[in-house]
Amino acid sequence: MAAPSSAEVVVIGSGICGALAAWRLAQQGLSVLILEAGPRIERARIVAAFRNSPYKSDWMSPYPFSPWAPQPDFTPKDNGYLIQAGPYRYPAEYIRVVGGTTWHWAAQAWRLMPNDVRIKTLYGVGVDWPITYDELDAWYQDAEEILGVAGADNTGSPRKHPFPMQPVAEPWSMRRFRERLAPAYPVVANTVARNSRSYGGRPACVGNNSCQPICPVNAQYLGINAVESAEAAGAKVVPNAVVYRIEPDAKGRIAAVHYYDPDKKSYRVTGKEFILAANGIESPKLLLLSATDKYPNGLANSSGMVGRNLMDHPSSSLTFYADEEVWLGRGPQSPSSINTMRDGAFRSQHAAYRLDFTNISQVLSVTEALIAEGVYGTEFEKQLRWRAARQVNVKNVLEVLPHPENRITLASEKDALGIPKPEAHYLIDDYTRRGADVSKKDFAKIAQLMGGTGLRYSPEGQFANNQHITGTLGMGSDPAKFVTDGFGRTHDHENLFCCGTGVMPTAATMNSTLTAVALALRTADHMHPAKSSAAAARAESPP
Amino acid sequence: MTGGAMDEPEPDPINPARRHVLAGLLTAYTASLIPWAVAAPVTSRAHGTFVALSAILVGHRSLDAGLAARLYDALTAVYPHFNADAQTLLAQINQQHIDPAQLQKTLDAAHSPLAPVPRRFIRAWCLGLVGEGEAARCIAYENALDAVMVADVLKPPTYAYGPYGSWSKAPVTKEANDHGSTKLG
Amino acid sequence: MNAHIHKPALLLASLLSLGAVHAIAATAPASAASAAEVQRGHYLALAGDCEACHTAPGGKPFAGELPVATPIGSIVSTNITPSRSDGIGGYTLQQFSDAVRKGVRSDGKNLYPAMPYTAYAQLDDADVRALYAYFMHGVQSVDRRPPPTRLPFPFNIRASMAFWNLLFLDHKPFAPDPKQSAEWNRGAYLVRGLTHCGTCHTPRNFFMAEQSSRFLSGASLGTWFAANITPDPNSGIGNWGDQDIVQYLQRGSAPGKGQAAGPMAEAVDHSLRHLTGADLDAIALYLKSIPARRDPNITRAADSWGGSYADLASIRGKPLPKKPDQMTGLQLYDAYCATCHQDRGQGSFDGGLPPLFHNTATGRRNTDNLVMVMLDGIAWRTDGSGVRMPAFAQELSDRQVATLGDYLTQHFGDPAATVTVDQVRMLRAGGPSSNLVLLARIGLAVAIVILITIIVAIVWALLRRRRALPSH
Repeated sequence: MAAPSSAEVVVIGSGICGALAAWRLAQQGLSVLILEAGPRIERARIVAAFRNSPYKSDWMSPYPFSPWAPQPDFTPKDNGYLIQAGPYRYPAEYIRVVGGTTWHWAAQAWRLMPNDVRIKTLYGVGVDWPITYDELDAWYQDAEEILGVAGADNTGSPRKHPFPMQPVAEPWSMRRFRERLAPAYPVVANTVARNSRSYGGRPACVGNNSCQPICPVNAQYLGINAVESAEAAGAKVVPNAVVYRIEPDAKGRIAAVHYYDPDKKSYRVTGKEFILAANGIESPKLLLLSATDKYPNGLANSSGMVGRNLMDHPSSSLTFYADEEVWLGRGPQSPSSINTMRDGAFRSQHAAYRLDFTNISQVLSVTEALIAEGVYGTEFEKQLRWRAARQVNVKNVLEVLPHPENRITLASEKDALGIPKPEAHYLIDDYTRRGADVSKKDFAKIAQLMGGTGLRYSPEGQFANNQHITGTLGMGSDPAKFVTDGFGRTHDHENLFCCGTGVMPTAATMNSTLTAVALALRTADHMHPAKSSAAAARAESPP
Repeated sequence: MTGGAMDEPEPDPINPARRHVLAGLLTAYTASLIPWAVAAPVTSRAHGTFVALSAILVGHRSLDAGLAARLYDALTAVYPHFNADAQTLLAQINQQHIDPAQLQKTLDAAHSPLAPVPRRFIRAWCLGLVGEGEAARCIAYENALDAVMVADVLKPPTYAYGPYGSWSKAPVTKEANDHGSTKLG
Repeated sequence: MNAHIHKPALLLASLLSLGAVHAIAATAPASAASAAEVQRGHYLALAGDCEACHTAPGGKPFAGELPVATPIGSIVSTNITPSRSDGIGGYTLQQFSDAVRKGVRSDGKNLYPAMPYTAYAQLDDADVRALYAYFMHGVQSVDRRPPPTRLPFPFNIRASMAFWNLLFLDHKPFAPDPKQSAEWNRGAYLVRGLTHCGTCHTPRNFFMAEQSSRFLSGASLGTWFAANITPDPNSGIGNWGDQDIVQYLQRGSAPGKGQAAGPMAEAVDHSLRHLTGADLDAIALYLKSIPARRDPNITRAADSWGGSYADLASIRGKPLPKKPDQMTGLQLYDAYCATCHQDRGQGSFDGGLPPLFHNTATGRRNTDNLVMVMLDGIAWRTDGSGVRMPAFAQELSDRQVATLGDYLTQHFGDPAATVTVDQVRMLRAGGPSSNLVLLARIGLAVAIVILITIIVAIVWALLRRRRALPSH
């Protein structure tokens, strides 16, 4: 059966944001077509692929690589898709498959804090958002109920209605942190899109400890669930459809998009409205690719900001041995954190941060360390058990500020379909580094409270990346400085909307998915106000 | 058992009838390191060397014969001189009475060409991995020794720990069970 | 000569006499029921699992509208809330008793035995009164009328049930056996009556009545198979201890034996887990005492098979085939089962995610339940635990279910038990199609032809006699 060549709404990208926006619009009876560059995959096969993989610390390893829809991978070596222009490495990872990157995430589903959207006014850094926290509140609630978010009350983001679920059961290891760090540091249960009871027809968590790269039982919400909802509501998904050009008409409205199939046969799809939801790197890449004589800098780019202000969440960390056996690896991977450093006057001087405790099993990393150290004989098992029982880690999640020079551009190198690869220009500024320095004091104090020995700080000046790709389609009221408005509509093209983390103009310290989903739902509701949308009803009701 | 392509079958002074006991490959010293493995039947000198070195390096109280076979096949396929290197290394340990805990240091200090060899064993048994970089292969996961050695407390990632909430209790280790004590809480 | 006229009269007489048996003495005062009686009625309604049929998924309690699939068509449950317009609010105690114990509605029409009145006939008067009190005073009224049941001819003739009842309804209430203990009698009263185990676990004859000589010896429900729960050690649960039975009924799982799934999981979830420990002990005691029935083909208990089996190592590092139907049983096990049931089938540390060996799920010769649990999973609706085992109907093809099912029985269960693709297809479609309607219609047509033939023969014979008589 031939793929549809036209729909009322065409969505580029089938990740959690694009799929939920598609679902919302399909529910209202609109014809919706989702074009996804990558293939369909099956959860059980990803589980088996991971178990068979020789690269178990590379969370991309079980996911298929499609030459027509390449994605970055850095193990065993950099596959050369995301060109690194520096000065700082930006090894972002994402998955180009039906369902997108939230096939594997830690399911952290935080809201921002009200001050996060006003750091320019409050602290003189970054930019203000064009919307307030209050304006987003109703869609946050909506997103939480769709995903099934389990959270505790004491997380610092104000809310009007309870979470759909109680917090996920606390692992023993996290309980010991919470008990021993109090009262200096309040350790709280993470707000997560993970079932603490059966929800949405999916089971409660059974502690597979493999949230990344795959939740084998779908106890956490996966992007594929959004696609399933969209399809059940009537949206059509075309996999292996690599959109390479967005075609404007003479009036500046988008008329059509063009995509390749894996054999590089080209197809043209027309629509009335278009949603670009291909993630914070692929979306700006596509806008830049769509340059014409009339739009020499690419589409939606009169501000020159498409692809600019690239932000993510860098992390530095401390690994140490607690003085008691806590045995990380029992339960979900990211259960608890400390949230008291997310906001404050200090933000005018240095980055805010969260402190995240991992519950990822330490067995693999300990074994690799023992092998590197050359520990053999009966000592091996003794050391493995001793270290795996005690090794713990605390990391920061740092805010970075928007800088126009941090950006995604088109590389000169091309991929297998002849499409220019994306190129990342990135650096981590002193504002963020100062935040990292401050957090080191917290690391030290936490280690002390846990009777820590064998302290190993991550190398100075080196940060891990968290794949929260923000800023490249940043929203703001001024068309001269921002790509999209407060509803995600591009300033330059009336019928082109952007959904995804890329529209967030600042990064804050919270994992970005829930905010991006809330914004996507709000965008869809703005495109076609639903008469019975719960979120819209809530937004209208008095607080 | 398939040997590596470069291996020549060695004349065997220990047991010309081809059915060996590992003890024949060991000295009193190395036998003392792995008393539990001493009587293990082996099918060839190369196989016996592999089993002996595995037992010495890994130190675990038993080695799965099926896994040994599969690791041996993979290792000899990836490393052309594997059997020869293993024989040399075992001989060296036998003669110089090298403590496994000091083995890597000793080999590194001497800039020995055998320095990479022990790691191949340990990676294979403890991580289930053979080969490096793009040639790396996973031969075992659930019964790799890193999972086996902690199996009283942890399931390997992707395997469910238990029904919802079962991870909230304090872990109970086999040592605690042996001593009849329980952890906090 | 006039035998055909006498028959209906005979029928009528029997019906009237039936009515006399269950007349409840109207001596009990008509005052408002006590809270204690309402509470007792609530407990009895749980034991009888009225909600299982009379509450639709997502519907209000006891408002009916649940279609019960039977081989003769769909029977829609009624609203038994105290609504006067749409429920049983207008029922007197006598009418309630007649419905529950005789299968007769307040308008005199017969109920179909999808309503297990043949079991509830065992209830004593005090329990009926308590149930009545609960349904009148303990249940929220819902003014919503379910659609009427429309069965295909000839089953839409409810009066035919009267004849069926004549043949198959044992209308005597439970009489305690003085030779047995009070606990045994309590168990017998519950099992034969309120908990109506025989409704599923006793095989039925051609007329769909329970065969009392084979009480609880197992029966197919079309898709799921209700096991033999007589105390035979091979074919039944003779090797289960009382505590195994109690734990199974209370938690839906007996370690080292089996788990409740399908309709039994519903029964435990909605009803049995609410019973008191004493009642469950009584049920266990009674079950261990009924006549054991053995299937000569079964040589050992379904929960005695198998052991830990490890072979995932043999597929590590091997890529999966592109075509899903070509996955081997071991590869399917790895991708779909091992996550919870673990790499050797040994289950989680505390058995909360159960092992696959020493498990009736893999040890039964009849593999229908194994296929059904793979397709449907196990989900409890009322105790909050929700999805206990996911459903794989959408993820696995018929071929994959058959391959995987064979793998499971081979390595963890009875190796002689097999799963075929045709079997999976049939179960997925809802069970074998029944020709009962067709047979009934044929039977009726034949009966009518015979009747007409008899009538014609008699009339002809009468006419002949008249002609033969000399005219005066």
